[in-house]
Amino acid sequence: MKKRNLFVLCTVLVVLVAVSSAFAAGVAEQAPAAQKSQTLTIGVSQEAVGLDPHIVTAFSSMRRLDLLYNRLVRLDENMQVVPDLAESWEIPNNLTYIFHLRKGVKFHNGREMTADDVKYSLERVLDPATASPGRSYISTISKIEVVDAYTVKLTLSSPLASLLDALTSNNISIVPREAVQEHGNLQRVAVGTGPYMLKEWVVDNSMTLVKNPNYFEAGLPKSDQVIFRVIPEEASLYAGVRSGNLDLATINDGATIRQAKADKNVVVMSKPGMNVRVFSFNNQKKPFDDIRVRQAVALALNRSEILTMAEYGMGATTGPIPISAKVWAIPPDQLPLGKTDYAKAKQLLADAGYPNGFAFDIVCSSTYEGGLAVAQVIQNQLKNIGLTANLDVVEWGNYIDRWAKRDFATMVELRGGSSEPDRFLYRSLHSTGGVNNFMFKDAETDALLELGREQTDPAQRKATYDKVQVVLSEKAPLVFLYSPNENQVTSPYVEGFKQIGNGSLYYVTHAQVIK
Amino acid sequence: MGKYIIKRLLSLVPVLIGVSLIVFFLVRMIPGSALQMYMGTQVEATPEQMEELKRLFGEDKPIPVLYIEWVGDLLKGDFGYSLRTGRPVLPDILNRLPISLELTLYSLILALLIGIPLGVLSSLRQNTFGDFFNRVVGLIGLSLPQFWLAALMVIAFSNSQGWIPMGNYVSLLENPLKNLKMFFLPSLAIGFGFAAVVMRYTRNSMLEVLQMDYVRTARAKGLPYRKVIIVHALKNAILPVITVTGFNAGYLLGGSIVIEEVFALPGMGRLALYAINQRDYPVIQAIVLVIATLFVLVNLITDLVYALADPRIRLVDEKR
Amino acid sequence: MKTPRLLRNKIAVAGLVLIVLYLLISVVSLFWLPFDPLNMDAEQILQPPSFVTGHLFGTDEFGRDILSRIMKGTSVSFIISVSATALGALIGIFMGVWAGYLGGKADNIIMRIADILFSFPSLLLAIFIMAILGEHTYNVVLAIGIVYIPQFARISRGSIIALKGNEFIRAAKSNGAGRTYILIHHLLPNITAPLIVQISLSLSTAILLESALSFLGLGVQPPNPSWGNMLSSARKVMMFAPWTAVYPGLAIVLLVLGFNLLGDGLRDILDPRLRNVR
Repeated sequence: MKKRNLFVLCTVLVVLVAVSSAFAAGVAEQAPAAQKSQTLTIGVSQEAVGLDPHIVTAFSSMRRLDLLYNRLVRLDENMQVVPDLAESWEIPNNLTYIFHLRKGVKFHNGREMTADDVKYSLERVLDPATASPGRSYISTISKIEVVDAYTVKLTLSSPLASLLDALTSNNISIVPREAVQEHGNLQRVAVGTGPYMLKEWVVDNSMTLVKNPNYFEAGLPKSDQVIFRVIPEEASLYAGVRSGNLDLATINDGATIRQAKADKNVVVMSKPGMNVRVFSFNNQKKPFDDIRVRQAVALALNRSEILTMAEYGMGATTGPIPISAKVWAIPPDQLPLGKTDYAKAKQLLADAGYPNGFAFDIVCSSTYEGGLAVAQVIQNQLKNIGLTANLDVVEWGNYIDRWAKRDFATMVELRGGSSEPDRFLYRSLHSTGGVNNFMFKDAETDALLELGREQTDPAQRKATYDKVQVVLSEKAPLVFLYSPNENQVTSPYVEGFKQIGNGSLYYVTHAQVIK
Repeated sequence: MGKYIIKRLLSLVPVLIGVSLIVFFLVRMIPGSALQMYMGTQVEATPEQMEELKRLFGEDKPIPVLYIEWVGDLLKGDFGYSLRTGRPVLPDILNRLPISLELTLYSLILALLIGIPLGVLSSLRQNTFGDFFNRVVGLIGLSLPQFWLAALMVIAFSNSQGWIPMGNYVSLLENPLKNLKMFFLPSLAIGFGFAAVVMRYTRNSMLEVLQMDYVRTARAKGLPYRKVIIVHALKNAILPVITVTGFNAGYLLGGSIVIEEVFALPGMGRLALYAINQRDYPVIQAIVLVIATLFVLVNLITDLVYALADPRIRLVDEKR
Repeated sequence: MKTPRLLRNKIAVAGLVLIVLYLLISVVSLFWLPFDPLNMDAEQILQPPSFVTGHLFGTDEFGRDILSRIMKGTSVSFIISVSATALGALIGIFMGVWAGYLGGKADNIIMRIADILFSFPSLLLAIFIMAILGEHTYNVVLAIGIVYIPQFARISRGSIIALKGNEFIRAAKSNGAGRTYILIHHLLPNITAPLIVQISLSLSTAILLESALSFLGLGVQPPNPSWGNMLSSARKVMMFAPWTAVYPGLAIVLLVLGFNLLGDGLRDILDPRLRNVR
C-alpha cells in the first residue's frame, strides 16, 4: 500500500516536469527541420533588450535594428553619409534641410512609406513623452513639414552641422504610425522597412529574421534568413565559428581575437572603431581640480603600452577625436602632452604641491566597458611618477551609479565616439553637456564647441575642431587613450560582409554563406 | 494526511509575505538602478524626459507606496513588467522554470545513478582499497568548482555537435534525443559533486543497516546474498538519501545559476543573475517568490516521500 | 601511547596532510614568492609553463607569474574560509542551541528566521548580500558567514533536542542545576561531534563559494589574486592558454579536497554507528 503511494508520487513528479516542459515548448524555438543553406547564423554575447528604435539604448538592440529598420541616411563602409530612405537632399541654408524620399518603399506590413511616416517618426523622437535617447541628437529641429508624399522639409532653430550624421543613428529610424498605435510601443515587434523581418524571438536564446521580399535595394538581402544566437561567453562564440555552428560573431576580447587571428579555420575582420577608451578625471575633486596634476598624469601615461597590455595592440592610440575619423582627427603624439615625459610630470606635481606624489582611487569594473585591464596598467604606469593608484573595482550597476552621481576621483571609461566631432564632443565636454561627467567647465572650450556646431564651411569647421583638440589636450579634463578595433570573426565561407567601424551589422545584408 | 498537506501549504503564506518584504526593500539598497543602466554613460535627457523616465521606471514614488502597489497588483495576478525589456514578468519566468527544473532533475538523477551503486559497493567493501578509492573519487567530485568543470567541458566539447546547448535549446517534447544530449554535460557538472554526497549517505546508511538483526537473520536463513542486500538492506537504507536529496535541492538549484551561464542555457538562474545585475526589481522580486514557493513545495514533497516510504513515521504536527 | 583515533583513519590523515601543506605554503608566501604577484610584464604575456623562464605554472594575460599568484591566494582563501565559517558557526550555533533548549515560541521565531535564510540557494543569497554591501573581501566573509547560519542552527538545534530528554539532563535538573549551567556543562560538550564535521565541511564549501563569487566578479577584486578571480580572468583565454585555468582550479580542488577528506574521516570516527561492520 505504501509502496504504491510512493510510486504514484514519483510518477506525479515526473509528469509535472514533463508538463512544464510542454509549457516551455510552446514558446521555444521550432527546430528547423532542414537547415536552409541560405541561413546566416550570427553569435552575439548579449541579448537585445527591446526592439523599439526610438527607445532603446543598448548596443545589443542596435545590432538587430540595423537589419529591421532604415533611416533617412546611413553610413557606408568608409563612414560616409550616403542615402538610405532619402534618395537625395538639399541644404539651401544652414537652417533648412529638404529630403527627397525613395518611392515604393514598403513597410513589413505592406503599406508604402511616405513623408508622413518621416514626420511621425521624427516627432515621436522629439516628443518628451517618448523619452527618446535620440532626441538630443536632433533637438534643434523646430519644424517638420510634409511638402508632398515624398518630400520632407526640416527647419532648425539654430544651425546643427552634425544633423546629417545624427540622422544615421538607429534611434532615428522611420516607423509606421499604426504599428505604434496598435502595440503601444515597438519593443517586442518589428515593423520597419528593413531588409529583414522579425519571425520569432526566444529571449536569451535566439532571434530569427527572414528576408523582406519587398526590400527596396535590388538584389538584397542575400541570405534568406538570419538567426541571432545569444552566447554569453566570447570564447564560446569563437568556438562556435570554428565548429561551424555560427557564421559570424562580434568579439570584443583581445585575447580571443589574438588567438583567432592565428587560426586558419576562421577569418578575422579588424578595423579601428569609433569607441574611445579614456581615463577620466573629476575636475572638481582635489587634487584633480589643479590643471598641473592632470597634465602630469597625461604626461605619465604611455598610450601604446596600455593598448598593448589591455587590448593586445588591437586598436589605435587617439586624441580627443577618434583616430578613425580621418578627416578630423589629429594623432595624439602631435598634440600637446602627447609624448610620455616623466621628468616634466614630476616637476608639474612638485609645482602643484605634491613633490612626493599622493594616493587616489580609480573606479573601474570587470566588464569590457569597465576597463579593469586598462586600470591595472595605468596603476602600474603611475608608479613612475610617485602616484599610488588604488583600484576601486565595482560591479557594473555600481559603476553606472558612481558615474551618474559623479562619485569618483578618476575612472576608466569606454565612450562611444562618432565620425562627426560635434555629436561626440559637445555632449561630453561642453559645460552643459549631458554626459559631461568630468564636471569640466571651460569657457574657451564652450565657445569653440558652439562655434563648430554652427559653422557649415568645412574648412572653417576643420580649423575650429583642430583648435578644440589642442585645447582639450592641454587642459586635460580627461586623457584620451585609444580606440579599440571593431572585430568580427567569420567562417571562411561567409562572403560579402563589410565592417563600417561603429559596430553596425548593416552589411549582413550583403553577406551570404557560400559552401 | 490531506489536512497535513493543506496545513503545510498554508504555511507558505507567512513565508511569502516575509520573503517579499525583505526582497522588496533589500533589493533597492543595492547601489544603482535600472533607469541609470538604461541611460548608461552615453545618453542625454532633458528634465522633462527624466520625469517621464522616472515614472516609467517606477522611481517617482516613495518605496512603501511602491510596495503596497506591487502587492495589490500581485493579488490581482499581475506580476508587473520587466524594467529592462518591458515584457510581462511572470510568463518569462515560467518559460524558463522548466529548463532549470529539468537541469536540476537530471543532475539529481545522474547523482543518484552514480552515487547509490558506488555507495552500496563501498559499504560492502568497507575499509578496503575499493572503499577508499570510491570515497576519495566521490570527495574529489565534491571538491571541483562547478564552473571550472563546466568551462573545461565547454572547451573539450566545443567542436562536437550537440553536446553544448549554446543558444540552441530545444525542449524535451520537441526533440527528446537532442534535449537529453545537450543537458547531459551540464547535469554532470552539477550532479558529479552531489553524487559524492549521495554516495556517502548511501554508504553510511547501508553500513548501519547491514548490522541490523533482521539482515543477519535473513542471511542466516540462507537467502542469497545479493537478494538480501538489494531487497532488504537497500530499501531501508535509502531513506536518509531521500531526505538529504530534498534538503540539498537548494544546492542543486543554486548550482544551476553558474552552469546555465557557462553553458548558455536559458534557465531561471541566469535570469536571476541578469536581473540582479540590471537592477530589474520586478523580475528579482518575482523570481524570489517563485524560488521560495518551490522550496516550500520541495520540502513538502520530501517529507511526504519520507513518510510514505517509512512506515514508522507518522505525519504528526511535528515540532521540527 | 596509543595512536589517536584520528591519525589511524587514513582518509582523515590524507586530508590533514593536504591542509598542512597549504598552511605551509601560506606561511612561506608571507616571506618569499618566486616573482612579484602584481608585477606586469608585457614581454611575458600568456607564456606556457617552463623551467627556462622560471614561470613554473606559466603567466597570465598581463605577464604575471601564476605560481606566485596562487601562493599569495592561499592566505586569502584560508582567511576567508576560516573567518566566514567562524562567523556562521558562532551565530548559527548560538541561535540553534537556544532555539532547541528553550523550545516553544522562541524556537519558532528563531527557526523561522533560519528558514527564510535557508530558502535561498546559497550562491544566490551570497550574490544578493554582496550586491548590497559592495565587493570587498570583508563582505565576502560576511556574505558566506550569513549563508552558513541556518545550517549550523539546524544541526545544533537538532542535537540539543535529541539530548534534552536524556536521563542525565533530567537528573541534573532535579538536582537543582540552573539552565545555563546545564547548557554549558552538559549539553554543549555532547553536541560537538556533528558540529565538528559540519565545520570542516563548511571550511571546504567556503572556498568553493568564494571562488564562485570571485568568478562572477563579486569577490576579491583584481589585481589582488584569489583563486576564483584568477579563474575568472582565465575564462577568456582558457581555450588557448589552458594553464591559466588549470592550475588555479587545481589549487582550489586540492585544498577543498583536503577539508572534505578530513571531514569525511572525522565523520567516520565520531559516528559510533560506522565502526567496522565486517
